[in-house]
Amino acid sequence: MATFAKYRHAFLTGLQSNIVYRWNFAVRGCFSVFHLVVVFILWSAVYAGHARIGSFDLAQTLTYFVSLIVLQFFIGAFNEDYQISEDIRNGLINQFLLKPINYFFYRLSVFAAARLVSGLLVFIPLAFALPFLWHYLVLPPELWRLALGLPAALLAALIQFTIAYCFGLLAFWFLEIQSFIILSMAVESLLGGQMFPLDLMPPWLFHASQFLPYFYQMYFPAAIFTGRLGYTAALQGLVIQSVWALLLLGVAQFLWLRGLRRYTAVGG
Amino acid sequence: MKFSNYIRIWLACARYSVVRTMMFRFDFIMWALVELFWMSVNLLLIGVLYSHTKDIAGWNKYEMLILVGTSMLIQRLLMGFFWSNLFEMSRNIRSGQFDFFLAQPGNPLFMVSTRKLDPDSLLNSFVAIGVIVYAIHHLGLQVTPGAIALYTLLVLCGVVIHYSALLMVSSLALWVVGLQGLEGTYFTLFEFSRLPREAFRGISRVLFVYALPVVVVSYVPARSLLYGFQPAFALWLVAVAAAWLAVAVLVFTRGLRRYSSASS
Repeated sequence: MATFAKYRHAFLTGLQSNIVYRWNFAVRGCFSVFHLVVVFILWSAVYAGHARIGSFDLAQTLTYFVSLIVLQFFIGAFNEDYQISEDIRNGLINQFLLKPINYFFYRLSVFAAARLVSGLLVFIPLAFALPFLWHYLVLPPELWRLALGLPAALLAALIQFTIAYCFGLLAFWFLEIQSFIILSMAVESLLGGQMFPLDLMPPWLFHASQFLPYFYQMYFPAAIFTGRLGYTAALQGLVIQSVWALLLLGVAQFLWLRGLRRYTAVGG
Repeated sequence: MKFSNYIRIWLACARYSVVRTMMFRFDFIMWALVELFWMSVNLLLIGVLYSHTKDIAGWNKYEMLILVGTSMLIQRLLMGFFWSNLFEMSRNIRSGQFDFFLAQPGNPLFMVSTRKLDPDSLLNSFVAIGVIVYAIHHLGLQVTPGAIALYTLLVLCGVVIHYSALLMVSSLALWVVGLQGLEGTYFTLFEFSRLPREAFRGISRVLFVYALPVVVVSYVPARSLLYGFQPAFALWLVAVAAAWLAVAVLVFTRGLRRYSSASS
């Protein structure tokens, strides 16, 4: 219980500090609407003369992109990697090494608080866009999508955070990690389904992508919610997603232990 | 200060940037790779889209590659010559280090805009040119030296427009010191420049084609390669570039008068 209380306080402090940055999130949310405009114009032009592309119509594809934006603000890692690398560089992790608090769980609690704030804030610009979006939003009625989609979204958040955490830990070895982060962002945006729904790739490539962690970062929960994946595929995916979450947690723990061996405490 | 002195300053800055880059070679390779990856992501998007359709808003795959390649080229030139300078300008205004630029015996806008070059972006501009040449080859276009000169001029107009917009966004820090993070979201504007004008309809056409120059910036140069010299389009872009540059310089110089340094 005392353990839980520690991280609850970290969560509440994270909540407060993220509310301070509400305008930054709001501006980001507004720019997401601009991105949505680009997506709408591009895909409307692609669908001109085609009722369906892949097995989906225009409304289904646009709903997928809207769900991506909502998910991104609720489960995406924004600058957690950078914050962690700064903690290491500035010696701020010293205090975590001296106190009975686990750095990973502390950061995870702050991440959860940050995403709660940014996730709720993205609804403000989306509410303004709703009169234009309304005609295009089609959500499938099956209830199992909610039952499987929510755990998929939570696991996706864990995978996103753990990957960001691992990149942050690279600061133990490298002075500058920003280029690694942006490089991985490019791979994530492609293989995570942010540029286009992954099911539009050639079938063999789509099949291969299901074995990569990126598939489960964003595309997987979005595809369950918006009807792009069937029941069996969703269940199978949840199993692979859980395996990836465990593997990445293992990598994070490994990097942390190896990194600490190299770490020389400076500042404090 | 004489014009030749400005050229000497610029060359000294360029030399310094190259020497600095060669000192951090691993970093240079990583950033060059980062840009190459992002360009590949956009090319793959085109590959996937055109595997499901033959044309988008009347543009076939290779025509679209010329448009996207042009957008990339303008982006790389902007990043190579001006991005980090202007990005750092708003940061320097907030920290008070901006005083350093004002104390130099030269035009403040020149000093602020030309201090650094990013060789990794400039290197990747050759990749963008490669994409355009590849598409021209597939379309069987006959490109004359005159067409190349016109295209170069229009691409430079595109760079001027983006430079002006970025200068305006960065100069906002002279008016509203608390504003942060806007520069990072600037990339969203580049997304518009990868779409053809014909894809925009109704209010989106009014806003993004006529009111804001986010589409014409790469559409007009790409069109000049595909259809040759079209005076109306060329004049449109040159006029837009001149107008935006004038407004941006005005915002910057007016902002300078308000600047009262930060910190001690």
